[in-house]
Amino acid sequence: MIDSLKYIGLAIVLAFFQAFIIQQVDLGFWLFPMPYLYLFFVLPINFNRFGYLFLAFVFGTIVDFLSGSFGTHAASCVAMVFAKNFIDERFIDFESLQLQGEQYLNTQSKGLLTFFYYALSLIAIHHLVFFSLDYFEWRLTFHVILTTIVSSLGSLLLILMYKGIFGR
Amino acid sequence: MWVIIRWLRNNAYPLTTLFLFLFSFNLVLRYQVYQHSLYFNQSVSFFRTVDGWRSSLTQYFELREENNYLKEENLILRKQLARNYFYHSPSFDSTFVDTNTNGASRLAYRYHHANVIRNEFRKRDNYFYINQGSLDSIEVGMAVLSPLGAAGIVTHISDHYARVMSVLNSNFEITSWIPNIGLRQGAVKWDFKNTSSGIIDEINRSEAIKKGQDVLTSNYSSIFPPGTPIGKIDRVVNSEKSQYLQIRILFATDFKRLNHVYCVKNLFSKTLDQLKTEELND
Repeated sequence: MIDSLKYIGLAIVLAFFQAFIIQQVDLGFWLFPMPYLYLFFVLPINFNRFGYLFLAFVFGTIVDFLSGSFGTHAASCVAMVFAKNFIDERFIDFESLQLQGEQYLNTQSKGLLTFFYYALSLIAIHHLVFFSLDYFEWRLTFHVILTTIVSSLGSLLLILMYKGIFGR
Repeated sequence: MWVIIRWLRNNAYPLTTLFLFLFSFNLVLRYQVYQHSLYFNQSVSFFRTVDGWRSSLTQYFELREENNYLKEENLILRKQLARNYFYHSPSFDSTFVDTNTNGASRLAYRYHHANVIRNEFRKRDNYFYINQGSLDSIEVGMAVLSPLGAAGIVTHISDHYARVMSVLNSNFEITSWIPNIGLRQGAVKWDFKNTSSGIIDEINRSEAIKKGQDVLTSNYSSIFPPGTPIGKIDRVVNSEKSQYLQIRILFATDFKRLNHVYCVKNLFSKTLDQLKTEELND
């Protein structure tokens, strides 16, 4: 129960942080980081996958609601969570994680590099869907790809900084 | 039914994902102005393209109907040709000419369209048959034209069909006119060699006949409307034994492909016949 409240509180903080701080700061044309994805890296991996999916949708919709971008964040979160099932299988050894007493993949679990690739894959999928929906034109494919790469690195950096600061 | 339920249960997770994704996508299209306008414009363009394909396809299936409309239109246009009218000039004195009323035109030819249902072109005396008869106002002696030129003369009729003497018949002759040199001499006959060529005999040696000149029906014919194409001059045979030239022509009509024809009624033929009968009686 306390854990659930903790996650809800974290979600609200991240959503507000995304909508009222990150989106209000002009970080450059290609850079649009989304550190709210941090929530998906701290949710337990044995969480019900349907629950995970609905949570992603609701969380994305809240961010959309606060940012005034109807459906974009929700669609990209849903796509990322769907892809997360396959990426988790590739990167995470569930048994060894349980033996370590961890609930999710951490920088200490399999090393920083593994976490880097894992997080970058998920963030890149999310950002690709997000910017595809945002630009919404075939002729802007190059912009979509470039913004996805730059922003994914930015988001990952912010997430790693958050992890470093709060030690989670 | 069980198969469907089992399939839905097995694929519940991807289907839920798809549903949530499409729901979000729908929100994007509905409430984001830029995406909405782009989607709307592209949908309109897409549906216009699809409409274009559909239109091309239906046009292909409607060709027969379209062809019938064109036949009707051709008939109407042919009726409007100036050569279908006789001009009767009223008397006038040498000091005054009323340019408004000096020519009164009267319709001289009426057209009916028909389809060839049987065609002969391998015999010496060829006929073809059309699907219009006396009940369709077809009469013996009417000229028959293909869309490209003269084709024959109606010789026999029944209620619904008619037999037409083809140009490819030993008994067929038609008075010719070569407009380039104003020549109205000689008659076109079939040369019995193939379905595409005929001859005009007895042309004076002094005439400047050249290859490629048009040969049309003359106004001396009481059957064919004047100016109807018969063919083009192919070759001039200049025999030393004869005092006349012989002209070989290529028919305008392709007799192997006769399909749609027009039967032409000369509305003044009875008056002409009456005059001829009176002459004979005298």
